[in-house]
Amino acid sequence: MSDKTVKRLTRILSMLPWVIANPGTTADEVQRRFGYSRRELVADLELVFVCGLPGYGPGDLMDAYIEDDEVVVDMADYFSRPLKLNAPEALTLLASGMALTSTGQAPPALERAVDKLAAVVAPDVDDALFVDLAGAEPALLDVFRTGAREHRVIDLTYTSIGSGVTTERLIETWSVFSSLGNWYVSGFCRLASAERVFRIDRVRSAVPTDETFTAPESVPPPEVRYTPSEDDVRAIIRLGPAARWVAEYYPVEMIEEDIVSFSASDPAVAARLLLRLGKSAELLDGPEVRERVVEDRSRILAKYGATPSL
Amino acid sequence: MKNVIERLLNLLAFLLTSGRPVTADEIRETVAGYDRENDVAFHRMFERDKDLLRSMGIPMGMTFTDAWEVEQGYVVPPQDYELADPGLTDEERAALWLAAQIVRLGGQPTGADAMFKLGGAPMTAAGEPLAADLGLSADDLGTIFSAVAEHRILTFEYRERARKIKPYGMIHRRGHWYVVGDADGEMRAFRVDRGEDFRAGPQAEAFKRPADFDIRSSIPAAPWEAGDADIVAEVKFDANVAWWADRQLPKGAERLTLPDGGLTARLPVANTDAFIGWMIGFIDEAEIVGPPELREQFVERVRG
Repeated sequence: MSDKTVKRLTRILSMLPWVIANPGTTADEVQRRFGYSRRELVADLELVFVCGLPGYGPGDLMDAYIEDDEVVVDMADYFSRPLKLNAPEALTLLASGMALTSTGQAPPALERAVDKLAAVVAPDVDDALFVDLAGAEPALLDVFRTGAREHRVIDLTYTSIGSGVTTERLIETWSVFSSLGNWYVSGFCRLASAERVFRIDRVRSAVPTDETFTAPESVPPPEVRYTPSEDDVRAIIRLGPAARWVAEYYPVEMIEEDIVSFSASDPAVAARLLLRLGKSAELLDGPEVRERVVEDRSRILAKYGATPSL
Repeated sequence: MKNVIERLLNLLAFLLTSGRPVTADEIRETVAGYDRENDVAFHRMFERDKDLLRSMGIPMGMTFTDAWEVEQGYVVPPQDYELADPGLTDEERAALWLAAQIVRLGGQPTGADAMFKLGGAPMTAAGEPLAADLGLSADDLGTIFSAVAEHRILTFEYRERARKIKPYGMIHRRGHWYVVGDADGEMRAFRVDRGEDFRAGPQAEAFKRPADFDIRSSIPAAPWEAGDADIVAEVKFDANVAWWADRQLPKGAERLTLPDGGLTARLPVANTDAFIGWMIGFIDEAEIVGPPELREQFVERVRG
């Protein structure tokens, strides 16, 4: 109830200053700009019409009505200034503007808008607020974004993180998204005949083809999903204090406070993680992963001309 | 709802034009829509209205009505109500709106309210495939932002300890939000998702941010750039992974592509642990060439 009231009052107190500053504006323009239906706009103007200053006589109330499609507001000078943004609103607008700018996907108008907005809400914020969503080649982001918009099939060359194997495939791009510091592209993969998510920094090349596809009615929400499969390799890992971050960073299943179950389609993923963690983690179960750890360890040590410890 | 909005419009019109503090009694007698018969009903209604305006970001301040300081009255200072005009064009508004739809905080796209306050915009983002979520909801971040922008002391709980810092800036990098500032004389970065109960102090301008502070350099872009070590590592990548290493190496790293497609690089390393972890990810397709101590540390870690 009060949330709806806040929304309605905010829209009224935003619409009034705009109409006052732009005399002669049409109802269509006001509707488009403030997301009003005609009925809602008329209702709000009628409400304003019965409000005003003490006395509440004809000379004290505001004028607000539509005449020949023109929106008229008069006697309301005290509402001629727009409302201040609150802190979460100001932050959200600045942060999203900066985030998009950092990806190289922003139009020049966005950078100007962020600068102008920052100048009024927090004049010296330039050295104090920064959002970095870089990490994907702008040219690749652009190919996928355009591909998804125009429903164009993309020829993708991709190197898997787990196996290191490079494959070429055709994909129908649905969405391009950033999560926990990485950019991903999701869509229908014609090689796998299923939905797939690819990390954009592992994309070797992406070339739009001439072929277009019919987009599904609705696509799954853009997020990194771990889809369990029967062929997955499981590893039960005890995390020491220095390795606890693993539980927050990877989609693991918690077994105990310091024991997680880590599943992936390739044992190399868990093996590499265990090698990175060194003494701060211990593999409790997972024969395939253990085998892989031993194999990878000896490969690395051979490269360095070192022998495994006893 | 219609009655509430009418009453609030009347109240705001009265407060914005009175030019002096007005008492609750005066509001009750003067502003249309308040209950003049029942004390309890009036106060309940008035408190609700104040809360509602506060939640919209319109604080009703209280000051003494005259020099005798006997009675207090309400004011809405124009600087707390009005948005200074940023002078946005419609093209800039539309760009801002699209950015706010693409980039979300805590799964929520920015509501239209903020955009209305900026003069509205044609709100179309249909068919936009780009999406990014900066994690965390805007509430805690808003509190931190106020403290940063208004130079207020920030207090919070972090790893079961109460912290009190001068927040110089906030940054989202590598998937996380950090607040960076002076904690008892030491420059520190705190991950916002690991803290709780963030509160901005009552006093604005409680500190000055150092003139040379730059939030961009407070959290390094690569994890091995954060730390106290000061060494230059020389590394070599096989042709098969050179492209991948090249994408992840910092911009400033010296690179040399080898005739066989491999890559050598020299780069500063401040956190050897993080750097070794990254190098292990290449298994036997990369090698630390020097310095010898770093090579030694690497081998030790791999031995487990």
